[in-house]
Amino acid sequence: MSRTRRDPREEREARRLAGSGRPRWRLDAPPTSGRLRRDPRREIDALRVAGTTRLRLDRTGRAGPLALPTIDTAAVAAPTIRIVDDPAYLVTVVPDAPGGRLAPLDRQLLGAARTLADAGGGAVLVLSFGQIDGLGAAGADRIVALDAESGDPSARAAALAIALAALQPRHMLLPESAGGGDLARRLAAKTGEALFAGAESLTARLATRPAANRRIEQRGAPPRLVTLAPDAHLPHAGAPHEARAIAAPEGRADAPHTGILSIEDLPVAADALPLAEADFVISAGNGITDFELFRALARALGATPGASRMVCDAGLMPRAAQVGASGTVLEASCYFALGISGAPQHLQGVARCEHVVAVNTDLHAAMVERAGLAIIADAQQVMPALIALLTAEGEE
Amino acid sequence: MNAASALSLVIVALAILLAVEAVRVARRWHVGRPASVDWWAGLAAIPKRYLVDVHHVVARDPYAARMHALAAGGLLAGSALAVLGLVPPLAGSRWLWALAAIAFLVALAGGGMVGRRRYPTRPARLSGGAFQRLPLLLVGYFGGALLVALDAVLDLTGPLGWLGLVVASLGGFGLVRLLADGPMRHAFAGALHLAAHPRPGRFEGERATALIPADLDAPRLGVAVPADFAWNRLLGFDACIQCGRCEVACPAFAAGQPLNPKRLIQDLAGSFKDAPPAYRGSDYPQARPVAGVSGPERPIVGAGALIHPDTIWSCTTCRACVEECPMMIEHVDAIVDLRRFQTMELAAVPAGAIAPLSESRYAEEPGGRALAARTDFAAGLPLPLIAEKGSCDVLLWLGSGAYELRHGRTLRALVELLRRAGIDYAVLGPEERDCGDLARRLGDEATFADLARANIATLGRYRFNRILTADPHALHVLRNEYPAFGGHYEVVHHSALLDELAADGRLALAAAPDGRLTYHDPCYLGRYNGETDAPRRLLDRLGLERVEMERHGKRSMCCGGGGGAPVSDIAGERRIPDIRMAQARATGAKTVAVACPQCAAMLEGVTGDVAEVRDLAELVLAAVEAAVPQGAPR
Amino acid sequence: MKALVLLSDGRHPVSGRPAPAGTELQAIALARGLTEEVAGLYAGPDAAAARTALGHGLARLEHRRLPEGDDPLPSLAAAIAAAAPDLVLAGRRAGAGAQTGLVPYQLAEALGWPLVPDVVALTVADGVLEAVQALPKGARRRWRVKLPALVTVHPAAPVAASFAIGMARSGHVEDAPGIDAPQDGTALEERPYRPRPRLIASAAAGASAAERLKAATQSAGPGGRVMVDPTPEEAARAILEHLRALGVLKPAPGRD
Repeated sequence: MSRTRRDPREEREARRLAGSGRPRWRLDAPPTSGRLRRDPRREIDALRVAGTTRLRLDRTGRAGPLALPTIDTAAVAAPTIRIVDDPAYLVTVVPDAPGGRLAPLDRQLLGAARTLADAGGGAVLVLSFGQIDGLGAAGADRIVALDAESGDPSARAAALAIALAALQPRHMLLPESAGGGDLARRLAAKTGEALFAGAESLTARLATRPAANRRIEQRGAPPRLVTLAPDAHLPHAGAPHEARAIAAPEGRADAPHTGILSIEDLPVAADALPLAEADFVISAGNGITDFELFRALARALGATPGASRMVCDAGLMPRAAQVGASGTVLEASCYFALGISGAPQHLQGVARCEHVVAVNTDLHAAMVERAGLAIIADAQQVMPALIALLTAEGEE
Repeated sequence: MNAASALSLVIVALAILLAVEAVRVARRWHVGRPASVDWWAGLAAIPKRYLVDVHHVVARDPYAARMHALAAGGLLAGSALAVLGLVPPLAGSRWLWALAAIAFLVALAGGGMVGRRRYPTRPARLSGGAFQRLPLLLVGYFGGALLVALDAVLDLTGPLGWLGLVVASLGGFGLVRLLADGPMRHAFAGALHLAAHPRPGRFEGERATALIPADLDAPRLGVAVPADFAWNRLLGFDACIQCGRCEVACPAFAAGQPLNPKRLIQDLAGSFKDAPPAYRGSDYPQARPVAGVSGPERPIVGAGALIHPDTIWSCTTCRACVEECPMMIEHVDAIVDLRRFQTMELAAVPAGAIAPLSESRYAEEPGGRALAARTDFAAGLPLPLIAEKGSCDVLLWLGSGAYELRHGRTLRALVELLRRAGIDYAVLGPEERDCGDLARRLGDEATFADLARANIATLGRYRFNRILTADPHALHVLRNEYPAFGGHYEVVHHSALLDELAADGRLALAAAPDGRLTYHDPCYLGRYNGETDAPRRLLDRLGLERVEMERHGKRSMCCGGGGGAPVSDIAGERRIPDIRMAQARATGAKTVAVACPQCAAMLEGVTGDVAEVRDLAELVLAAVEAAVPQGAPR
Repeated sequence: MKALVLLSDGRHPVSGRPAPAGTELQAIALARGLTEEVAGLYAGPDAAAARTALGHGLARLEHRRLPEGDDPLPSLAAAIAAAAPDLVLAGRRAGAGAQTGLVPYQLAEALGWPLVPDVVALTVADGVLEAVQALPKGARRRWRVKLPALVTVHPAAPVAASFAIGMARSGHVEDAPGIDAPQDGTALEERPYRPRPRLIASAAAGASAAERLKAATQSAGPGGRVMVDPTPEEAARAILEHLRALGVLKPAPGRD
C-alpha cells in the first residue's frame, strides 16, 4: 500500500497569510495531513505550574489537559472534502455517540482510525446505531447504519458480528467507555476475536495497553478488535471526509437473548446523585446564607449540590454533601464554589476537578487562585442573578 | 438488754445479711472467663492501693474526698466499735460508746455532705434513683446509731435510745439492700477490684496503658457476650459508683456523640444480669434506640442488644475516663474488646473505617499509599536510609503523618534540627510499615499483629541506639505495645530529644518573639506515657509566655483524632477539635503548640477564630534560626 | 437461591501484595444481600488472594487448581455447570494479570446466560433478576433478566465489608484439580509500565464549529480569569458563558 502523495507546495500555500508584501506563512497551524507539528515551548508552558517562582512542570496531567495547538478552521484554506474512493482496506469504528452527537472519546477514536487508515490507503467506516452528526468532519469515509431498534447490547453485538464477518475490516475500533467497552467484550466473546482492550497508544504497527494494575505495559501489533482509552489519541484535525452512507451488509441477526426481559433508563436527578459520581458540583460555603436559593440554583443549573465543612457542621446541609478531605473527594469535571475561601482540606477534595469556578468576596482566597473563572463578588447576590438569567433564557 | 447492745446485735445481723448479699453479688461474676489473680498480694495491697492510688484521684475533688473519708471512715469505725460492745469485757463500757458516738458523729457529718451535694439540686453528672435516697439512709443509720451511742454514754431516760435503734436499723437495712444493685455495691466490688485488678501494674508505678494482646487462637475473638469478659473485668464494672467524673472528662460526650462512659459502664455492669436495675444518670447524647436486653450469653453490642455500635465507635481511646475514674475501671480496654469482636468476627466496622483497615492489611499503610512515598516530604533534605548505613544513633520513625503536608512541615523542621545538632540519624524509608496503631484501636488485632511482627523483623536487622518519633501514637505502640510481640526499644519523642539537645547546648536557641502560647498535650504522650514536663521545659527555653488551658497535662482534653475516631466519624452535635480550640482561645494564646500529627491535623481543621497551630519542632527551628546571625555559616 | 462470585488472583495496586480486587469484594456484599448461599470460585495456581476474600464474607471458596498460565475458562465453566448457581457475579476487572475484563463475557457466552454489566444494585423476585447498571455521570439503567444470569459489578456499588479474620478462619476452601488448558504464550510483549501524557486537542474540540472558533480566537483559553466587583448580572452572564464553554451546561435554548 502506498501512502497518499503529499504536495508540499499546496500544503504551504494553504498556510499563506493574507496580506500584501512579502509572503508569510502560519507555521504553528497544524499541517493538513500527516502528523501534527509539535511546539515544544508551548507544551512546556502548558505543563508549567502556576504560582511558583522556580520552574515547576506537572507531567501527570493533573494541572489540566495538555493544550496542543487548537485548530483554527478559519485560517486554513477553504476545506476540501477528502475522498477515498478505492480503499485498500477498511477500519471500522463503532462510536458511542450518545444522543447522536460524537463524544470527545468518539472523535479521538475516529482520529485513531484515520491514523490506521491513512497508514496504507484504507478507509474509515463508521458503524452507527442511529443518526450521528458531524462524522465527515471527524474523519469518516463511509457510514453504515445498523438497526438501532433494540437498546440491548447483546443484539448490537450480534449486528456487529455480522458486519465484522461481511466487511472483513482490518480493524474494528470501539471506545473504552461504559457502553463501547461492554459492546467490544460482547463482540469478542461472541466471535472469538482477540480483544486489545483499553489501548493507550495506537498506530498501525504498535499498540500499548496497561496491565497488572499499571505495572506492566503490554505492546504488540494491534489485532482486529481494539478498544481505545480516553485521551490516548488526538481527534482528526485534517480536511473533512465524505462520510458516504452505504448499505448495511446482508445477514440475519440471531434472535435477541431471551433471558433479557427489559432494559430501561432510570431518571436520575442531579441533586440526588452521590457527590463522588457527580460531574458538575455546585458548592456552598460560609458566604451563603440562603440555602433554599442555593438549592434552587443547583436545580436550575442541573448541578449536584455540595458544601464546605463549616456549612455541614452548622447543619445547613447534610453531612453527605461535605466536600473535602474529610468529606467526599470529587471526580467532577467542573466545580462551582460559592462563598468558599478554600481551606487546604477543602481543596484536597476538589484536587481532581478539571475546572473550578469561584465566587467569593476575598480576592486573595485560595479558591480564587485555583479557579479558572473567579468572580470577586457577594455570592449571595450572584445567585438570584444567575437564576433570573437562566429563567429568562428558558422563556426565550 | 439495752438499746446499745441491741444495736450491736442489729449490726451483727446486718453484717451477716451483708455477707449473704456479697456472696450473691460475687456469684454473678462467675459467668466471666477465668483470670489469673495474685490474691495474696492483691488483698495485702488493698490499703496501699486505696490510700495512695484511689485517694490520688478522689482528692482532685476535695469536697468528695472529705465527704468519703468522713462517711466511709465513720461508718466502718462506728459499726466496728458498736460490734465490740458485744465482747463481754467491753459490754456497757462508756468509753467504748463514747468513741462510737464520735465515729457516728463524724459519719453523720459525711452523710450530711453526701446530702448537701445532692440537695436541693443534683449536679448533672451524678445519678438519681437509689443514689438520691442514699444520703437519707446514711443519715438515718448514722443519726440513729449516734442516738443509741449517746443513750449508752449519757444514760438518757426515755425512749430516745430505742427510737435511735429503730431508725438506725431501718437505715442500716436500707443500706444493705443497696449492696447488690445499688450505690453500696461500690464498697464491696471496689475493694475487691483493687485486689483483683486486671492491670496490677497501674499500682506499681507503671503507666500500664498498652492494650492487652488478644488471643488470636481463641474460638471467639474479642467480646461478644458478657461471659467473654474475664470475671475480674465484670467485677470492675460493678465497682462503678456513678460519680460521673468520666462523663465530664469524655470528649465524645462533650461533643454530643452517643457515648457516655458512665452509662457505658452501667450498661456493661447490667449486661450480665438478667434484670439489671434502672439507670438514673445522664444518657448517651443523641442515644440511638436499642432493644435493651441483657443476660450473660446475650450479645452486648447491636441495635437489637444493649449498646448501640455508634457508642463504641465514638471513643477516641484518649483514656480521660480511665484517668479520672476513682474506682480504677478500665473503660478503654472494655471498648477495645467490644470493638475486637465487631471487627474481627462480624466485620461490622463504621463505613469510613473499612478502607483504612483494608489498606492497613493489604498495603501495610492505612492510606493505601506506597511505602516508598513516605519520605517524599523531605525533598532536598538529607534523609539517609538505614539500609545504606547499617547502623545509626537515632532511628527516625516517620509514621503515617509523613504523607500529609501539615506533618511533613513538622518533620522537615525536625530533620533540619537533627542535622544542625549533628545527630547521627537515619530512616527506614520504604521498609517502614505502618505501626498498626489505627488497626489496633479499631479492633483489628490480627492486622496489628502482622504489622507489628513485620516491623519488629525489620528493626531487628539494623543497629541503632534509640528510635525517635514525632508521632505519640507510634511512640506508644513502639515503646509499650511491641514488647508483647518481642520488640524492645528505647523510644523517645521529639519533644524529649529536642529538650535534651537544648539542655546540652547542641541547639542554640534565641528568644522567640513575643506572643502568648499554650501547649496542647497529646493524649498518647501525656496520659499514655506521662510525658508532660519535657515539652513544657522545651517551650520555656524559647522564652515564650506560656499559659495553661484549664485541662492540661495528664488531664488534658483530646483533640478528637485518636482511636480511629476521625475515620469512624460518628456524628455528634459539635466537633471535639472545635471545643478544644475554643479552650485554647480562652487562654488568650495566639499559638497552640502541638506535638502530634493527629492533634495538628484536627486543630488545624478548625475554622473561624482560631489560634495558630505550630508543632514544637517548628517553634524550636524558628528559635534556632533566629539564634544564627544573618550570613553566618551554619 | 445460590450465588457464585468469581475471584481473581488479585494484587494490591500500590503494594503488589495479594489482595482481592475491590469490585469482587463488592460483588460478595451484593450477593450476600440476596442470599445466604454465596460461594467464591477461583481457577488458577495460587489462591492466596482468593482466600483473603473469605474474610470479607464468603463462607466457602471453590479452588480449581491449574498450572501457571493456563486458561481458566474451561475450569470455570465446568465448575459453574457443576454448582448450578442462579447467579454468577464478577468484578469489573481482575485484580491482576491482563485485566481485559473479558472472562465474564466469555463465560456468559459459553453458558448461554444473559450478562448485565456494571451493576450497583440487585434484587430477585420470582426467578427474575432486577439489576441496576451504573453509567457515566451518575446515570442508571435497569435491567430485568431471567435467572440464571451473570453480572459484573461496578465500583459505585455499595462498599464491601471489611476483612474479618474470624470469617477467614471459619471459611471453607474446596480444592479440586481444574481442566488443563495451556495457552500459547501471549503474543504481546510486556515491559514495565510507562505513563503517557493525555492528549486532548483543546477543551472545545468536541464542541460545535462556532465554539471551536471561539476557543481558537481566544489567546490562552478561558483560564485564570478574575472579575473584580462586577454587577451580579455581569457576573451571572460571565459564569453561564464560562460553564457553557466548558460544556458542563447545556447551550442556551434558541441560540444553538
